[in-house]
Amino acid sequence: MSDAIDANLELLDRQIVDHDGAMVAKVDDVELEERDDGRLHVTALLTGPGALGPRLGGAFGNMVASTWARLAGRTEPGRVSWSSVASVGIVVTLAVDRTTVAVDGFEVWMRDRIIAAIPGSKVLPK
Amino acid sequence: MKKLFAVALGILTAIGGFVDIGDLVTNATVGSRFGLSLAWVVVLGVVGIAVFAEMSGRVVAVSGRPTFDIVRERLGPRVGLVNLFGSMAVTLLTYTAEIGGIALALELGTSVWSYFWIPFTAAAVWVVLWRAKFNLLENAFGLLGLALLVFGVALWQLGPDWGQLWHTASTAAKPSPEPWPTYWYYAVALFGAAMTPYEVFFFSSGGIEEKWSPASIPTMRSNVLIGFPLGGTLSISIAACAAVVLLPAGIEVESLGQVALPVAVALGQLGLAVAILGFFAATFGAACATGLSVGYSIAQYLGWTWGKSVRPRDAARFHAVVLLSTLLAALVLLTTIDPILVTEFSVVFSAIALPLTYLPILIVANDPSYMGRHKNGALANTLGSIYLVIVLAASLAAIPLMIWTKVGTT
Repeated sequence: MSDAIDANLELLDRQIVDHDGAMVAKVDDVELEERDDGRLHVTALLTGPGALGPRLGGAFGNMVASTWARLAGRTEPGRVSWSSVASVGIVVTLAVDRTTVAVDGFEVWMRDRIIAAIPGSKVLPK
Repeated sequence: MKKLFAVALGILTAIGGFVDIGDLVTNATVGSRFGLSLAWVVVLGVVGIAVFAEMSGRVVAVSGRPTFDIVRERLGPRVGLVNLFGSMAVTLLTYTAEIGGIALALELGTSVWSYFWIPFTAAAVWVVLWRAKFNLLENAFGLLGLALLVFGVALWQLGPDWGQLWHTASTAAKPSPEPWPTYWYYAVALFGAAMTPYEVFFFSSGGIEEKWSPASIPTMRSNVLIGFPLGGTLSISIAACAAVVLLPAGIEVESLGQVALPVAVALGQLGLAVAILGFFAATFGAACATGLSVGYSIAQYLGWTWGKSVRPRDAARFHAVVLLSTLLAALVLLTTIDPILVTEFSVVFSAIALPLTYLPILIVANDPSYMGRHKNGALANTLGSIYLVIVLAASLAAIPLMIWTKVGTT
């Protein structure tokens, strides 16, 4: 993945799916690094309210980011390393499983604390 | 044979699934006050929903991306978020109206006070959304909803002056005692009821649940282009029944019982029972569709796992949203607010929210990087653009008309 990419058009706000097609998150922001040749390189996809809040901007965006930071106990947003990205198309496909990128804090909390306690949560709908 | 069956089933469920509490109440109200002089709005709305449902269905079949995914990607996170809030508020209001509608149908059937039924109906809807497979709920309620065809039979049995009905429908002849602003207010409400945004969220997300591919496009088209117009005909027959029985008697629709009254007059108790079954199926089916749509839209905006093809624990946030929406809807209804009033507001607010949904669909359906050779042709684009103007006009006119006519009471 060394080609030039229009991050604004081809990355931001796209769906990230894992190698099985399971939905992981949205590309809420991208992490860029300036290399010696002066070109910008995408080093990671940033996900979750911690990355989306600043992009929304204004008082509401600040509130989203700070509320998230308080609940999550950290300020660094969810991060999917560019090395785990397999391809970029209509969706961004990862080469790995969604559990290995571990950007699912709130999903896991909701699953373990609430949803798993309801009978039938572990069975496919019939 | 199997394919033919799938097509027929799709069309039948599209007919039965087309009518919800908004269509029931608005069509009967309009019929009882304006006869068939607003039938043209139903025709306009049905063509509109067919045009945009076909577009969103094609986008899903080709790109595999549902509506709200595209809304955010095309409009950006900020406008997308405003859009999400607007659409979710309207869909939640519609969800509340549908749950109230189920309770009203049960009250009609059992003579037990509707507010008693509300906790049970909300719980039953939630259990279905938690446990039932997508196909099951779509097919079962769609087919049962066909019981509403009894309105067509009742109209036939009432033996109206068909020439007169056709005359008022074709000339849009407003009955003279009603003022023009009220006429236009109900035109907007009827348009909102026919084109409710949740239908497109549900339809496009359903395409993903059912794993559509480009090969599904012909089946999808036949469902939309045959099923929706037949559903619209069903709506008009409800209005026509009201026009024949309620309008001359000067009865205004204030309850679901009055919607069913023409059927009882024409066909007696048995007809009434079938109509009540139809009300129950139509509102229950629509409650499932709207409840899921609230979850679909927020999950698609934020990139969560969603849907009924995974175990609930694997779509935890999606199911949490569905559960919370159901609780909220039940709590709002338990304030003893009149579900008919909620319905009236939900169709007008649907009209206001229409451009939010339909503009992004039109944009993406034209994008070759998504659609390849399946992008919009000249017909879809011409109709789509014309409808965007109509939808925008209805959206802008809705609030002024609502205030001017005091929610249609003048």
